[in-house]
Amino acid sequence: MLEIDNLVAGYGGVPVLREINAKIAAGEIVGLLGANNAGKTTLINSLSGMVKPISGRILFLGEDISKLTPQARVELGIVQVPEGRLVFPEMSIRENLLLGGINAHARKHRPQQMEKVIGLFPRLGERLTQSAGSLSGGEQQMLAIGRGLMAEAKLLMLDEPSLGLSPLFVQYIFEIIDKLHADGLTILLVEQNLNLTLRHARRCYVLERGQVAAEGDAETVKNDPRTRSAYLGL
Amino acid sequence: MSELYQALAQGLLIGATYGLLALGMGLVYGVSGVVNFSHGDFISLGMFMCLALYSAFAMDPYVSIIITVPLMTAIGALVYIFLIRPMVGHQFLMVVQLTLGLSLVLQNGILMVFGGEPARTPSFVESKLIILGDTVLRLPHIIAFVVSFALAIGLYIMLRATDFGRSIRAVHQNAHAAALMGINVGRVQVLTFALGIGILALAAALLLPGTPIQPNMGLRYTVITLLVVVLGGMTNFVGIMLGGLIIGIAEAFGTIYLDGPIGLLLPYIIFVAIMLFRPKGLTWSSAR
Amino acid sequence: MREEFYKTLSSPIWWGTLAIAAIMPFVLSSYYVHILTLALVYVALASSWNIVGGMAGQISLAHSLFIGIGSMFSAALLLKLGINMWLGLVISAVISGILGAVIAWIDFRFQLGHLSFVLITLAFAEMGSIVVEGWDFLGGASGLLLPKDTGNFLAFQFGGGHGAFWMMLGLAAICVLVNVAILNSPLGYYLRTIRDNEKAAQAIGVNILRYKITAMVISAMLASVVGTAYVRYLTFADPYLLISPVITIEIVLFATVGGLGRAYGPALGALLLVPLGEILRGKLGSTLPGLHYFIYGIVVISVILVTPRGLLPLFERLWARWRGPAVAGKS
Repeated sequence: MLEIDNLVAGYGGVPVLREINAKIAAGEIVGLLGANNAGKTTLINSLSGMVKPISGRILFLGEDISKLTPQARVELGIVQVPEGRLVFPEMSIRENLLLGGINAHARKHRPQQMEKVIGLFPRLGERLTQSAGSLSGGEQQMLAIGRGLMAEAKLLMLDEPSLGLSPLFVQYIFEIIDKLHADGLTILLVEQNLNLTLRHARRCYVLERGQVAAEGDAETVKNDPRTRSAYLGL
Repeated sequence: MSELYQALAQGLLIGATYGLLALGMGLVYGVSGVVNFSHGDFISLGMFMCLALYSAFAMDPYVSIIITVPLMTAIGALVYIFLIRPMVGHQFLMVVQLTLGLSLVLQNGILMVFGGEPARTPSFVESKLIILGDTVLRLPHIIAFVVSFALAIGLYIMLRATDFGRSIRAVHQNAHAAALMGINVGRVQVLTFALGIGILALAAALLLPGTPIQPNMGLRYTVITLLVVVLGGMTNFVGIMLGGLIIGIAEAFGTIYLDGPIGLLLPYIIFVAIMLFRPKGLTWSSAR
Repeated sequence: MREEFYKTLSSPIWWGTLAIAAIMPFVLSSYYVHILTLALVYVALASSWNIVGGMAGQISLAHSLFIGIGSMFSAALLLKLGINMWLGLVISAVISGILGAVIAWIDFRFQLGHLSFVLITLAFAEMGSIVVEGWDFLGGASGLLLPKDTGNFLAFQFGGGHGAFWMMLGLAAICVLVNVAILNSPLGYYLRTIRDNEKAAQAIGVNILRYKITAMVISAMLASVVGTAYVRYLTFADPYLLISPVITIEIVLFATVGGLGRAYGPALGALLLVPLGEILRGKLGSTLPGLHYFIYGIVVISVILVTPRGLLPLFERLWARWRGPAVAGKS
């Protein structure tokens, strides 16, 4: 579904990512691991179009999307749930969800989509008029994922969904992720939490200083010494 | 007592239009972080367009808006795209100087075309008075009040209940997240700025009947708008409308009750006094 | 850091430029001497504004107040109370300094973020012009006419023409030198940190309020002194010129065109634009009033779009390229 081909990207012409190659097949759940500043967020933002590539290509469903705007990519179904949730704090849950489905493609099916999301997160459905800023961190994470689903995502990219959540909520969020995967959604899971990711993702890439240090199925990555070194920064 | 009612009524009527002027500025500030120091000069541009249309076709200012509003909206969009957008992001404070420069261009462009003598644009309602007991109100003021409030309510509904309105608020609250939703942030900024200038064209027609206009009055409108916006907490919708009413009433009280400069200073004195006690303006919610 | 300042003080280029400027009245016709004098007024004003607006990044629109106090108030003191203008100059400068400090403090209190200073100072400028136009002591809307300049130095008179030119040249030189001195002092360093990142400056323990007030006071007092000299040269204290926010806007635009925060930037801007504007006004002022302001506006918009840091850095880059890449080091 997604193919990253020799991608070099960064800010102000200074590369952060150097020659990244990666693939995600349809229906797969793939983990992207790495320590702080390894380039995970830069990579996910390159896929979203928030960071412009310096060279290389990104193929989505066989088409080169590396020149497309963030809007066009959302319309294609590449949807990011950003780190720190970034819900719109002064808007109600309902408005946040509506904004999630604001792109030209998803706009037509918003009522149906909203029902699905509420079915997935009944807790959100109970308080549709409450402002997003008043929610707890875990509830905001639900809202952020729900908002991403509203966009009719084909590829859902979750950036640090466990960040700052209580263990109970982390478990709940990951159950939801498994469920979405079981329903056939393609998921890219960006996480710092190594063991958690390895339990849920079938395949993983480990980033270290802007390069892929290790890759393979969860078991391989787990036993790869380069994974450990990438984490310990050796 | 009748003087009191007179001052209150006059202040409320004019204050609603001040609130409307400031809403445009507040929206633009909320979405792009830009404060347009040529705001008032766009108001005079709108007024002089009405004057030109009257001189050429004897068009009433209230009718001219069908031409001035689309025209000024288009001008607003062009100004944002070609002048302000290149600044946003890297040379932020430069927008101040840029819009000050634009203010000189507009003001003196108008001066070169129309000359510096005070001019009036008559309207069919200009001299109509409405008398309620002891209070005498001018019909143009009442029209301005009603239209301004209707428009403010319309804007409020637009912001709450339409996708475009929600996009504006989303960009204001978190531009990065808004872009991730597939909102074209740049387009929202252009449209908001254009909308703000379009509103000014309408406000110009509302303020025009009975008021002599001069090319150099723009700065004073800019300052009044700034007072209202700051008083309203920059981006708080209700706060800005309230700020408009306060400044309008302060102005009316100043001119009716106090002689000379102190009267004219009253809005400023009230502004400084309020701001010293409520440094963030009239916002009461803890959120932005 | 101080060395840079002493180097300027002992630089032959500096004194040579001043000396050449000083003989201008003997070379040029009185019309051009007048234009140069005006240019020097704005060199001095733009340079004094630069301390707050350029170095500290606090775009002040309140400078018409300080210019207005320096001019209208000292003129009123002389005409209404018979107070010598030298003393008036000092009194006005002190009042301007205090007012500047108060405005800086009030702004600090308002906590409105990066644009607050512009908003607050513009409101104060507008208040100032309302006060002056309505207060008879300051001449009201009709202004004040000073006695003829007979060249009595003790009465702050310089004999018009040449004398006024030298007076302004001296003032302009002082204002530019103050810029050089501050830029190369700890104060200049703190002001730049405030401009570049106020939060970070606060985090490392810079007393922001203190330095903002210091900058504002120095800037306000200089502007006031220039105002006194300007009104003496003009002889007529015109409120629509001296206390109108437009004079500040002009200064801000000159400084921006030349190069904000640079010692010689504002001077360059004023020296280029004032003669241009004045000559245009002289030739076309009666048929197209406002043309010179219109041109100022166009120039500043173009400069901001093409070279946002101003013409001085642009000239330096061109100069470096022309001299070859080998010496193109410091910018």
